[in-house]
Amino acid sequence: MHPHQLFESPNSREIHIAGWVITASTSPISNAQECDALQAALRIPLPEMTFGSNFLTLEHRPSAWKYTFTTKGALGAVKNGELGPGDGGVRVGYADKWLQSRTDPSSQLPMPKTVPTKPYDWTYTSTYTGHEPLSDDQSSAPQFTWREGDKDDASHTIPIAELSRPDPILFYAEIPLYEDELHDNGSSSLLVRIRVMPTCIFILSRFTLRVDNVLFRTFDTRIYHSLSSNPPRIVRETRGWEAAYDRVLRLLPKRNDLTPLTDPTWIGKVLSEMPRDENNTGWRGIGSKIEVSELR
Amino acid sequence: MGAWWGEKGRVGLRLRLGVLGRLFICFRFRQIEQLQRCEPISEEQVKRLCLKAREILIEEGNVQVVDSPVTICGDIHGQFFDLMELFRVGGFCPETNYLFMGDFVDRGFYSVETFLLLLALKVRYPERITLIRGNHESRQITQVYGFYDECQRKYGSSNVWRWCCEVFDYLALGAIVDGRVFCVHGGLSPNLQSIDQIRAIDRKQEVPHDGPMCDLLWSDPDDIQGWGLSPRGAGFLFGADITKAFAHHNATDLIARAHQLAMEGYKHMFDQTIVTVWSAPNYCYRCGNVASILELDEHLGQEYKVFSSAPLDVRSVPAKRPPADYFL
Repeated sequence: MHPHQLFESPNSREIHIAGWVITASTSPISNAQECDALQAALRIPLPEMTFGSNFLTLEHRPSAWKYTFTTKGALGAVKNGELGPGDGGVRVGYADKWLQSRTDPSSQLPMPKTVPTKPYDWTYTSTYTGHEPLSDDQSSAPQFTWREGDKDDASHTIPIAELSRPDPILFYAEIPLYEDELHDNGSSSLLVRIRVMPTCIFILSRFTLRVDNVLFRTFDTRIYHSLSSNPPRIVRETRGWEAAYDRVLRLLPKRNDLTPLTDPTWIGKVLSEMPRDENNTGWRGIGSKIEVSELR
Repeated sequence: MGAWWGEKGRVGLRLRLGVLGRLFICFRFRQIEQLQRCEPISEEQVKRLCLKAREILIEEGNVQVVDSPVTICGDIHGQFFDLMELFRVGGFCPETNYLFMGDFVDRGFYSVETFLLLLALKVRYPERITLIRGNHESRQITQVYGFYDECQRKYGSSNVWRWCCEVFDYLALGAIVDGRVFCVHGGLSPNLQSIDQIRAIDRKQEVPHDGPMCDLLWSDPDDIQGWGLSPRGAGFLFGADITKAFAHHNATDLIARAHQLAMEGYKHMFDQTIVTVWSAPNYCYRCGNVASILELDEHLGQEYKVFSSAPLDVRSVPAKRPPADYFL
């Protein structure tokens, strides 16, 4: 068993274990000044709840490998500009009806002259998988590469059996990066969770989208590291799903209780278990990939 | 001015009320006290309260005329204990006149107690508190965002939800303070240049998905010129020129609106011609934002009072740190 040390401050928690330094920082949503700065950098309107100061960082001291999940990184992966094929663009459920009420020749309420508004993905769909931060001196930084995992190599998978074992959780954190209620048309959120166990480090970064009466979407990134792997190996698995709203609605345990539709864990489970919806938006996040990186 | 009509109101009340009337007032007072302790009232009491509220609201115009001084509040979203904090900061009703710009319900844990307390205050002090409609005061939205569930859970039936929704249909769409400050939940509509045009709407209905009534409850100011179409595919955004033209046409100084979260509790835009007031601190119990109320004095001078969420010990909300979970 690896000895570990925990550190805590009002907005951040840290664990030192087996050469790793892992820091989770959670603060209130960004203030107006921070939002202005972030918006200037990203050039899209920010989600209503932008936790701009939150992050999760892992540092492997022996190899100097660093990996981080940040709000800026996650929002940087949101499409900025007109949405095209693969972006999975959608509109709210009543958009057609609304537009028709304004554009119908018999409309009492003709559309006013409008100016173009900034095109961007208002659902904040992100296939962010975390990133390796640039170090101050990039030239001397060690290079690590991700390669495709070997399907027949058990060490290139996420070991569900090990992770299901009720070992003591040494360190746990939930780090919300952003959340938006889509103007009461659903919900979009990105939450990163980590648990450090006596034998491993496990991270789940989950993007969940619900557009009422339109669709559900989940994009998961799982990162697993066995503390006994030699050389130290990182497994990264990404999986994306999408399903029409009505298909998910039919799977509710109680027909009149819609609350599971607001539970990312329930949505993630249902989406992963249902047959793939061929009639999807063509969003590029659909599908799965497993990659590994060795730290040496 | 407020003090003057306050006096008149009290004298008038004393003259008109018989013994039964006084008993009724006493009963209302007890109801308010009970609700202030966050104790729900009986289903029968809710029914009578909603009927009485409808009688009062039906007499109000689409744009309720309000006199200064008055304290303007934004979204509350069922955060009952934070509403009590708001009253502690701003003064209790009827000592302070209030104008709430909608979104009383949904998302928080105490939508029932929040809305019924505001309604009981409205019935008890109709001249002292004005409630206007937000986009969450709607059957469709409350079925998705919590109020319907909460009514079911707390009363075991949907009756309370149904009666409250009937009250929603009678809420004013806006208010005007001393003819100079226009208050609305969302924003402007391309079909409404004047406040008189708002007065002509037939408001007694579920919030429609389109049209001017929908725009008033849903639209947002944005850094554009003119009108813009929301990237979501429905709804309008309006720019500084539209806001200023509306102010000029209606001889108003300020538009006060709610509807959007502001980390600092309020946010001015367009050379202070419009302000967003947000009154739900630590929104959804996890945003860590402060909230504010806008006090307009008798000269319409503006003072923003900022406040934080109620202390943790007075409410049963989830602990700050989530319990460790064996997620997979």
